[in-house]
Amino acid sequence: MNRKKNRNIENFLLLFLLIMALLVPLILGANQYNILLVTTVLLYGVMATSWNIIGGLAGQLDLASFAYLGLGAFTSGTLFIRFNFTPWIGMILGGLVAAGFALLIGIPLFRFQIREVWYALTTCALVEILKVVFNMWEEVGGPVERYLPYFRGSLYHMRFSSYVPYYYIMLGILLIALLVNSRIARSKLGYYLKALGEDETAAEVLGVNTRACKLRALVYYSFLIGVTGAVYANMYGYVHPSFFNGQESIKIAILGIVGGRGITYGPLLAALLLVGTQEFLRASLGGEVSGLYLVIYSIILILVVLFRPSGIATLFQSGYQKLATGEVKKKSVI
Amino acid sequence: MEIIIQSLFNGILMGCIYALIALGLSIIFGVMNVVNFAHGNFVMLSMYFSFWVSSLWGIDVVLTPLITFPLLFIIGMLIYYGMIDRTLREHYTIQIAVTVGLMTFLGAITQLAWQARPRAISYSFIQGNIQFGGYTIALSRLISAIISLIIIISISFFLSKTWPGRSIRATSDDSDAASLMGVDFRRTYALAFGLGSSLTAIAGGLLMTFQQVDPTMGLRFGLLSWCILALAGLGSIPGLLISGLIIGVGESLTMSFWDPRARSLVIYLIFILVLWLRPRGIFGRK
Repeated sequence: MNRKKNRNIENFLLLFLLIMALLVPLILGANQYNILLVTTVLLYGVMATSWNIIGGLAGQLDLASFAYLGLGAFTSGTLFIRFNFTPWIGMILGGLVAAGFALLIGIPLFRFQIREVWYALTTCALVEILKVVFNMWEEVGGPVERYLPYFRGSLYHMRFSSYVPYYYIMLGILLIALLVNSRIARSKLGYYLKALGEDETAAEVLGVNTRACKLRALVYYSFLIGVTGAVYANMYGYVHPSFFNGQESIKIAILGIVGGRGITYGPLLAALLLVGTQEFLRASLGGEVSGLYLVIYSIILILVVLFRPSGIATLFQSGYQKLATGEVKKKSVI
Repeated sequence: MEIIIQSLFNGILMGCIYALIALGLSIIFGVMNVVNFAHGNFVMLSMYFSFWVSSLWGIDVVLTPLITFPLLFIIGMLIYYGMIDRTLREHYTIQIAVTVGLMTFLGAITQLAWQARPRAISYSFIQGNIQFGGYTIALSRLISAIISLIIIISISFFLSKTWPGRSIRATSDDSDAASLMGVDFRRTYALAFGLGSSLTAIAGGLLMTFQQVDPTMGLRFGLLSWCILALAGLGSIPGLLISGLIIGVGESLTMSFWDPRARSLVIYLIFILVLWLRPRGIFGRK
């Protein structure tokens, strides 16, 4: 009875949020800059949500998200520039390249039992390696930006004169990422991942094939981000090795942890709050205080980690539980 | 041939300083098993402090560690008691997250305080070159390497001969047994964190004599010192020194023979290969 009521409220809330999200471009109206900002927030939301699969559920601190973003962007962008190839298929290919690269790295990584800090450091180094490689690889990358051909609104080329279509594309990817996330969290794979995220040796002893599970999580994660990368390239209209950004990759992990590891909506919530604030600060304060939002970011991260290690989403969860059932649960289910 | 020897020299001199940086990280990671992502940013912070002290008070930059060493020691202790101590029993993701937050914080603070422009010291009394049988060696690099070696050797003595040093080593071997023997492990942890951080003050002052500093350096130094640590394994100071030299020489050979842009590429590739093939490092004790 209670659960059914709970479900209804949940569905209603989701529907409401979705309609709100669909209406955002209408509310913001003609100001392209604002729509770009909102789309950027969504982009971080997508990346943090995808990160949740490997970082939240599987407990592997992956710091390579922008490596996969860059790979997706370069795959789709290069195909577009060289062969006039449509980004709609290019983004699938971008996802596949990113996932293939992740497999290539992941198989030996998990085979040699690289865990915890060493996994984090390897992935961190991976972004820097790719940045240097694409900087030196003149045929595809190189130090100069490669601009995508300009079209004034071409569906085939995914090039529009307004940011509104990108907003809806990003929203669509976000919904898919959320769906994948919640499906995985409720599947057998999800339970395996949670188990090995807590204690890998124990999970192995219980018969979980940890290597295969981690690989699958890595593939889902990198594919989603690779697809996003293709849209990213089209939105900004160029590809450049600076897409491989170590600092920003770390930020994605920060969003995932602040939001709440393993909670489907947690990273998105953190992205909306933190990246939203960041973009607002940047828009209102300008470039003169470039470091200020990072200061705020890191202070929030440290405070959340010290005082609420389960993430800010659990704050909302307990509040929501109270709202839905009229009672407070002692410990919220993650 | 001459280029090879020249870049070997440069690499070896640089490697000594790298080993000094990695020694600090090794003490922190070895003793309390806490992953310090912010170590590279401590190096950067020390360089800025050295820059500051030297340009404000007109002290020569080589001597600035006399002031920044105790400063970094206190900062390290405060960070241990304020942040690290609370996360000791948490999931490792949380431990890393705290130091990642610290890293971002230090990077952002330096960016706010000194802007993104690179800073350099205009003059130090150890500038100039030595001519040595046709080769040129920068005096600042040579003296920095020698000071680094002296510091590394004295830290090694400190760890093996004095009571606090021995308690650090005992705690790193087995913290339970050490606390049964009357070692206060929290104080030892704080000491180790302070010492590890303050070693970067010396390295920062030395680096400042021939290098400029900018806010993006932190990540590079952090990854670099983790590479050396991965190569060396834990618990062997000579191993650390050799690994530092390998990285320094590798970097300098890459820069002169392949492409200056590829310097970090080679280091990270060595790092990943070592992780895959020798997870305990080449000279590791545990």
